[in-house]
This record gives sequence, C-alpha cells and structure tokens, in this order.
Amino acid sequence: MAAKKLRRAQLSQEMCERLSRYQITTCQDFLCLSLLELMKVTGQSYYEVQKLLCKVSRACAPKMHTAYEMKLRKSVNPSSAFLSTTLHSLDRVLHGGVPCGSLTEITSPPGCGKTQFCVMVSVLATLPVSMGGLDGAVIYIDTESAFSAERLVEIAANRFPTYFDSDEKLFCMTRSIHLYRELTCCSVLKRIMSLEEEIISKKVKLIVIDSVASVVRKEFDTKLQGNLAERSNFLARGASVLKYLAEEFSIPV
Amino acid sequence: MQREVGTLPLAPALRARLAAAGFQTAQELLDTGPCGLSKEIGISREEALEALQVVRQECHGDAARTAGGSGATRKCTALELLEEEQTQGFIITFCSALDNILGGGVQLTKITEICGAPGVGKTQLCMQLAVDVQIPECFGGVAGEAVFIDTEGSFMVDRVVDIAAACVQHCHLIAEAQQEEDHQKALETFSLENILSHIYYFRCRDYIELLAQVYLLPEFLSEHSKVRLVVIDGIAFPFRHDFEDLSLRTRLLNGLAQQLIIIANDHKSAVVLTNQMTTRIGQSQSTLVPALGESWGHAATVRLIFHWDNSQRLATLYKSPSQKESTIAYHITSHGFRDVQPPAVTHSAEGTEMNPRKRPRPEEEKQ
Repeated sequence: MAAKKLRRAQLSQEMCERLSRYQITTCQDFLCLSLLELMKVTGQSYYEVQKLLCKVSRACAPKMHTAYEMKLRKSVNPSSAFLSTTLHSLDRVLHGGVPCGSLTEITSPPGCGKTQFCVMVSVLATLPVSMGGLDGAVIYIDTESAFSAERLVEIAANRFPTYFDSDEKLFCMTRSIHLYRELTCCSVLKRIMSLEEEIISKKVKLIVIDSVASVVRKEFDTKLQGNLAERSNFLARGASVLKYLAEEFSIPV
Repeated sequence: MQREVGTLPLAPALRARLAAAGFQTAQELLDTGPCGLSKEIGISREEALEALQVVRQECHGDAARTAGGSGATRKCTALELLEEEQTQGFIITFCSALDNILGGGVQLTKITEICGAPGVGKTQLCMQLAVDVQIPECFGGVAGEAVFIDTEGSFMVDRVVDIAAACVQHCHLIAEAQQEEDHQKALETFSLENILSHIYYFRCRDYIELLAQVYLLPEFLSEHSKVRLVVIDGIAFPFRHDFEDLSLRTRLLNGLAQQLIIIANDHKSAVVLTNQMTTRIGQSQSTLVPALGESWGHAATVRLIFHWDNSQRLATLYKSPSQKESTIAYHITSHGFRDVQPPAVTHSAEGTEMNPRKRPRPEEEKQ
C-alpha cells in the first residue's frame, strides 16, 4: 500500500513527472513531506496541495468496516473461527481453541512439550472440517531441527486410529505438511516473506514456526551495542508480515 | 488589505514572479485586475483570475477575523469556555474509580493517551469506550458514534459484543428502576446491532496508511457528524520498528499530533491513543517509560499509565491539566472494564439514583 506508485493514485501525468524529478514516486514519499515542502515541490497553491493530499491519502487509506459487518461476517462461518486443540480445558480457556486470523505464542521452559504441541496441531489442521480440523495444508518452519516425521505418523495413528486406518490416508496427511528447515534469521525472514504465494497455491490453513526465540538468541547477543535494535527490528518485521498473513487468509499462526 | 504578497497561499513560482514584478500588497493585486496582471507577469488570464480569487478569499477571511466574527481562530473569554466545559459531556468508562480520577470520564475535545505494558488492558478500555460513547444522554452518556483505527490487529468483535451486551443490560436495569418515558424511548434505539453498526473500524497496516487515514479523517467526520470518539489503538506500533530516520519520525508524529488536536477541537470529539512502554536504562536500574520519546509526551493532554502490581491492575493518572495525580485499581471482567470492589449498594433502585454508572450488585453475583 505504501509503495503504491503515484501514477496509480490518479494524479495527473505531468504532476507525476514533476514529482519524479524530486525523487517522489510512491505514496510514501508524498505523504512524508510537510505541506510547505509539497507546495514548493508541486508549485501549487495551498488549497490545491490539500486537495492533492486528499487524493493520495484516499489511494492508500484502508477501507472502513463497521463492527456490525465484521460480526456478521464471523457469524456466517462460525466453525472457521477457531482450531480446536482437542484438549477440552485448553479449548475452554481459549474460548474455542487456537484463533484463526491472529498470532498465538506458546512459551515454556525446555522439555515441556512445545514441539509436541506443534506437531499435534499440524495433524489436527489436516483433518477434515467434520472432525474439527481445517482440511488444509500446513507450513512448518523448523529452526531447531526438532521435527520428526515418525513422531508425526505415530501421533496421527494413535490419536485418530479410526480416521487414519489406511496407509494411504497417512501418506495424504504427511504430504500436506510442508517442512522448511531454516537455520538463520535472514533465511527465516525470507521464508516468511515468500509465504504468501505458497499459501494460495498449496491451500495452507496453518503456519507453525518452531521456534522464533532459538534462532534469534543464537544470532543476536544483546550485550553488544546495536544488536538490540537490529534484533527488535527483525522480530517486528517478521511479526507484522505474519500478522498480515494471518488476517488476510484467516488462518492461525 | 495591506497584506504582503509573500504571505498569500499562492504557488511559489507565482509568488516569485509577483515579487520580481514589484507587487507588495494584496490591495495592489486586486486593483490591477486579471487582464492587467496577466500582461504584467506573463501568465494566462485564467491563472491570473484564479490567483485573484485566492487573494480575495484570504482578505475576506482576514477582514472577518479582525471584525471579531467567527473565523478560523477561536477567540472567546474564559467565562464562555467555563460554561462550555461545564455542559460538555464525558465518556464514562464504567469503572467509577477511573472516572473519578479523570474528573468524570474521558473528556471531549482533549487527547487522552493510555500507556501500558502488553496485556494490561489498553485495548479493552478502548473497546469499552467505543461502546460507552454511544450511551444515550438520558443515561449519562454523550450519544455519539466511534471511529476505531487499529494498527496492531487486536480488535476482537466478539469481545465488543460481550461488552456491548453488558452495557445494554445495565441500561435496561436503570430504566426499570427509574421508569421514565425517555429512558424507554432511548432504549429502543440502544440495541446491540445499533451499537455495532456505529463503530467504524479501520485497519492500518503501516504508518503510511495511518497518516493517510488521519488526513482523510476530517472529511469522514464531517460526513458522520455524530462521531464523538476517535480511538487509535497502537500509535507506537507502526513507528517503532523499521524506522531508520528518527528525525522524520519525530516530524511525522508531531504533524499527526497537530492534526489530531485540530480534529478533536473542530468536531468536539475525544481522541484516545494507546502507546507502548519501552525500557529506559538508567545508571543503576531500568524503568519502564512510555514509548516514542520525550517530544511525543507533549502531544497528549491527559496521560494514563496502566501497570501491574503483583496480580492487581493499576491505573495511574500521569499527566492532567486539571486533576491530581493518583492511582486506582481496576478489574477486567467478562463484562468489560469495572471497579475492583463492587460498590456498596444493596438496592438497585437506590444505587442507580445516586450514580447510574455504578453496577448494581445483583449483576455481580450472577457471575
């Protein structure tokens, strides 16, 4: 949205050319300038510049929804609002399960079962909707190399023996869990940025990242100067992309 | 009429030409007329006419202002302001302790900033206020609508439904106790669907969208003139990460603050912002301070800081022009923002007569 070219914001051709002479080509550049600077750059009067500002803002501004529309949209499809974890007390506390469309963070000391939980949730996501799943693929980004396919099959076979009665069903399930091993911060970030197309092409319904902290702590030593800022930068960027993916596709992360 | 040409809001190139041609005051321009102007400076007649219209508009505005009429600048005595402030409504928060330290609730035409660590209840209070602003006047509210600008994505519709349902139920109880006609009439329009359809929600993903939305807000507010509350949930989030140029950030934030002040004053609405906390590392210890720096601290008129004390949530009034600095405890229940101890009211009718904001006891026990 911010990188939208001014040409697409319905400004006149000559205005765009004039602005590009000052290296103002995107909406972001335009909106970051103050009114006086804009007057100087566009050569227009005060009122004209305000009108231009409104035009450019309209090109970038988000759409309005009333809370009522949002509620109606949710109530139309109630089953897709949560992914049940099949642990009844946990579901009760979470008001239905892992919420779709937002980020959920699981933290604990080592050995408590975070990875096991992630594996189980991946299995649940591949189940059909009638059994409480999301009937979709899963993207699993593993930074600790802790994912074991055998354990996955074991969980699936023992938890849902009636469903996974044939090998074929197991193959189907394992085929829809896409595992990516990333070992550095940069590759994790690159992978997250490239997820949008994969989600659409593979019909992904769940993203799991196990774990964010391990790769960040390995690379950034907070005692060194400047590393803290870089680390929070990396985390914030990753978080905003993940939030965007979660909301856009209404999937749990 | 004696206004200098250099101060008129014309295009800079035109101004330069006028100065080169020797024009000094606006009166000279008006006397010359469009044809004469176009010949002298070498611009087309249409451009000259446009310029003259701008000049005329400006001078007209000036004259009106000097005559003491209502212009762009407000000039009134302190007595008029006092009368205005006393009749102004507050947006109640349903937590009477918080309302008390704020002097009645969130004030209209002022910017209130809420800072706090993650998870302490800032978004909850924003959602509560978005519902409370719609309470009809006979119940003690301002009967307005709300604009909710979300940058963090923490707005949950289901939660707003819960809060709104509790609010409607509370008003029903008051109406039953007092049995007045206008209460019944107001209750007909104060329903869940109505409340939800009057909360206008915008989701801004980065700071450019936020800036664009704030530029467009005056227009939106003049279309929806009943809006009395603008909430920006998470003003710190888009500005904190990915910003290399800190001076640009300060400039944009100050511009944003100015525009919000203008919006609050012109449309008589309250502006509520939520901010994050950051750690300031001192000599021997580190303290939590509101994010976005010292210069942002001047933007808000009233500042509330939410923090934890063991497992109790506390709210501190950090900055206010008219109230004393104090701390109170609050609670977040399934009904929304509430006091910690239920008020000592035994009879619901008696309680609501004294203070319609206090929740009657029977509701509490039903939990």
